[in-house]
Amino acid sequence: MPITFEHVSHTYSEGTPFQYAALKDVNLDIREGKITAIIGQTGSGKSTLVQHLNALLLPNEGQIHILDRVITAGEKPKKLKSLRGDVGLVFQFPEYQLFEETVLKDVAFGPKNFGVSEEEAVEKAKKALKLVDLPEDCYEKSPLELSGGQKRRTAIAGILAMDPKVLVLDEPTAGLDPAGTKAMMSLFYELNAKYGKTVLMVTHDMENVFTYCDDVVVVEDGSIKVHTDAQEFFRDSALCRSMNILPPALIRMRDMLNEKGFAIPADVQDLDALAAYIAKQVKSHE
Amino acid sequence: MNNFTLGRYLPMNSPIHRLDPRAKIGAMLIALVAIFFPAGWTGYGILFAVVAGVIVLSKLSWGFIWKAMKPMMFMLFFLLVINILVVKTGNVLVMIGTFGIYSDAVMQTLYIAVRLLLMIMITTCLTATTKPLDMTLGIEDLLKPFQKIGVPSHEIAMLISIALRFIPDLIDETERIMKAQESRGVDMKEGKLSERVMAILSLIVPLFVSAFQRAEDLANAMEARGYAPGEPRTRYKVLKMERRDYILLLGSVLLLTCMIWLAYFA
Amino acid sequence: MGIIDVKNLNFSYDENTETINNVSFSVEKGTYTTIIGQNGSGKSTIAKLITGLLERKSGSIEIDGLELTLENLNAIRNKIGIVFQNPDNQFIGSTVRDDIAFGLENHQVPQTEMDGIIDANAKRVRMTKYLDQEPTRLSGGQKQRVAIAGVLAMKPEILIFDEATAMLDPQGKDEIKKVIMDLHHETGLTIVSITHDIDEVAASDAVIALNEGQVVMTGTPDEIFAQEDTLRKIQLDIPFSMKLEHKLREKGLKLDRYITMDALLEELCRLHSNM
Repeated sequence: MPITFEHVSHTYSEGTPFQYAALKDVNLDIREGKITAIIGQTGSGKSTLVQHLNALLLPNEGQIHILDRVITAGEKPKKLKSLRGDVGLVFQFPEYQLFEETVLKDVAFGPKNFGVSEEEAVEKAKKALKLVDLPEDCYEKSPLELSGGQKRRTAIAGILAMDPKVLVLDEPTAGLDPAGTKAMMSLFYELNAKYGKTVLMVTHDMENVFTYCDDVVVVEDGSIKVHTDAQEFFRDSALCRSMNILPPALIRMRDMLNEKGFAIPADVQDLDALAAYIAKQVKSHE
Repeated sequence: MNNFTLGRYLPMNSPIHRLDPRAKIGAMLIALVAIFFPAGWTGYGILFAVVAGVIVLSKLSWGFIWKAMKPMMFMLFFLLVINILVVKTGNVLVMIGTFGIYSDAVMQTLYIAVRLLLMIMITTCLTATTKPLDMTLGIEDLLKPFQKIGVPSHEIAMLISIALRFIPDLIDETERIMKAQESRGVDMKEGKLSERVMAILSLIVPLFVSAFQRAEDLANAMEARGYAPGEPRTRYKVLKMERRDYILLLGSVLLLTCMIWLAYFA
Repeated sequence: MGIIDVKNLNFSYDENTETINNVSFSVEKGTYTTIIGQNGSGKSTIAKLITGLLERKSGSIEIDGLELTLENLNAIRNKIGIVFQNPDNQFIGSTVRDDIAFGLENHQVPQTEMDGIIDANAKRVRMTKYLDQEPTRLSGGQKQRVAIAGVLAMKPEILIFDEATAMLDPQGKDEIKKVIMDLHHETGLTIVSITHDIDEVAASDAVIALNEGQVVMTGTPDEIFAQEDTLRKIQLDIPFSMKLEHKLREKGLKLDRYITMDALLEELCRLHSNM
């Protein structure tokens, strides 16, 4: 079942002089079982949009269909708490939410809030910690003793332990070094490919979007500007640039080469393919 | 934050807003002392008229002042009831069966009420017409002479101004952490006692951790820019007393003298 | 002798790990040096040691010929300006103006001179319009620009950027990179930038690569990127152009190393049109 937004609007501080329409008549169908990137400038409404997915924010107008729930403007959503367990939302710099005495206890905290028994919660926690590749000798440490990267993985494990069907991530690789970024993106890719989780990712990193994401949603000024297949999105870089988005290096190279007389096809997928086209065209001139 | 009337600054442009914060703080302190002299109804009448005049000049609405006084009303009513039950001196005003309400009970309550309300009016007027930062500068300057006896006036002012600067950030952070924990199934509003305790812990611990990190980062940044508490430094913002500030101070001293005279010599 | 000379530096946060282990390097005056390494390799620690925010265990640190000691701490700090990663946690003043003034107040600059200095430095980072704004109304990039202005106002000779763009969005990152580049081209300041940005590294004059508290490589960007095995071992990235060039060599093209896309593009065009 896709995630659907129907005529959704959200206004902050409605009725006060500080009123601000963050979302305006949003209509969106997010494909189930895919990795969708949500991109846009700071202040475009991306964060507001994703916070509707687990009902942290409720719409002022319109309706949202997610999993088997319906969230309607003006009505209190039913089965709210269970929605929070089925849609796992990871905020930016999630390491700031760690608070328990030990890593294991912190990761088990989420499941426990949903009525899971102590033993089962610990089991789920251990499974989640293995998924994020955190070494076992960290389990009994205080979260504050860990490195930045380990803290982040612990925080993400805390959400994964609830076994959500939908995973929503707000800039998961912010502040990570290249190795950390790669490990994080591979994890999400695996969660989607192997476990079938629907993944939504708010991100500024076009390299990640190009390499790992299936779909792209561009949010601009509170509404959906573009919603398309990721490869399609980068095919025509005029589209990217018109939204002030810097295309990934591969696409930029493709365009620069074509400007100088090469003929690299628009749908070139990866480095290997690009190299093959270049080599062929250079050699064919020999 | 919107309902927090007592202590809030209202940006406007009135003669009172433009006064030097040191003069205002000084005048407030003198006026507060003046209130406590038993100057009789004449005295309180004069005080009230003067304070009302200042409030009118400051362009603050009476609704705003009333909002600041409202929290006290309940307490005053409670006090009235207690006094009625306890104080049995003075003339009898009303008889309810065999229970008498005496004039002294009402008078004593009234005395306290008038003083309390005057205090609130004066302090609210001060905080509403003075930018928090200007208030801090005023406090720093007023405390400076006490540096000789060891009061760290500058450090206190720096502490206050940094705290003020970070209040909006701390509020945002609290909201962020709350949302993050709610996403993990924490219910901030309902639940058993043990659940509520965990909910609060899940908010407070990260806040403290983040506050300590912030403090460390700030200390590094300040040190790297040459800050050394206790060492001499110049100050960018200057406060200058104008004639109108001296008039305010003179006026408040006159008021005090008047109250003392009415209390003991009239 | 460089403007920064570090010899046999040692430091630990606790007894168990050698956070900084026998580190030696030199930064030449007027250059743009980048320091790279995984998170946790000790980059920020070195920045804090150089500015005397942390006390070294052993070894020597000389800034412009002056040895870093408790007595010279102020003199050393006057020569170095450092911009940290978190835009909020280094913004002390209640407005942009007040924040830039903070350093001036600490250096006992006469009050009458302050406005001129504040205006000039705000202009330099293009924040003149925002002088009376509060930090809550500013973007991350704008706050970092204010931090740079505040540091420049104290007329340092060395500018250290400790991952100053790590917490910014792409727009903010661009703003700051541009400011840094302008400073490099227009002033004689020595710039040291701790960064993960490979393009920034490729554009710098000198690179210092750290791993687990030790210096593993120093040299020009060309020299650093040539040592691909080492880079792979310490899990650092190489520029896109180099990744492409590897693939091209696999397909039979003969190419040198190109660390920027423009350079590689030029060469490919040359090969393409030569036929």
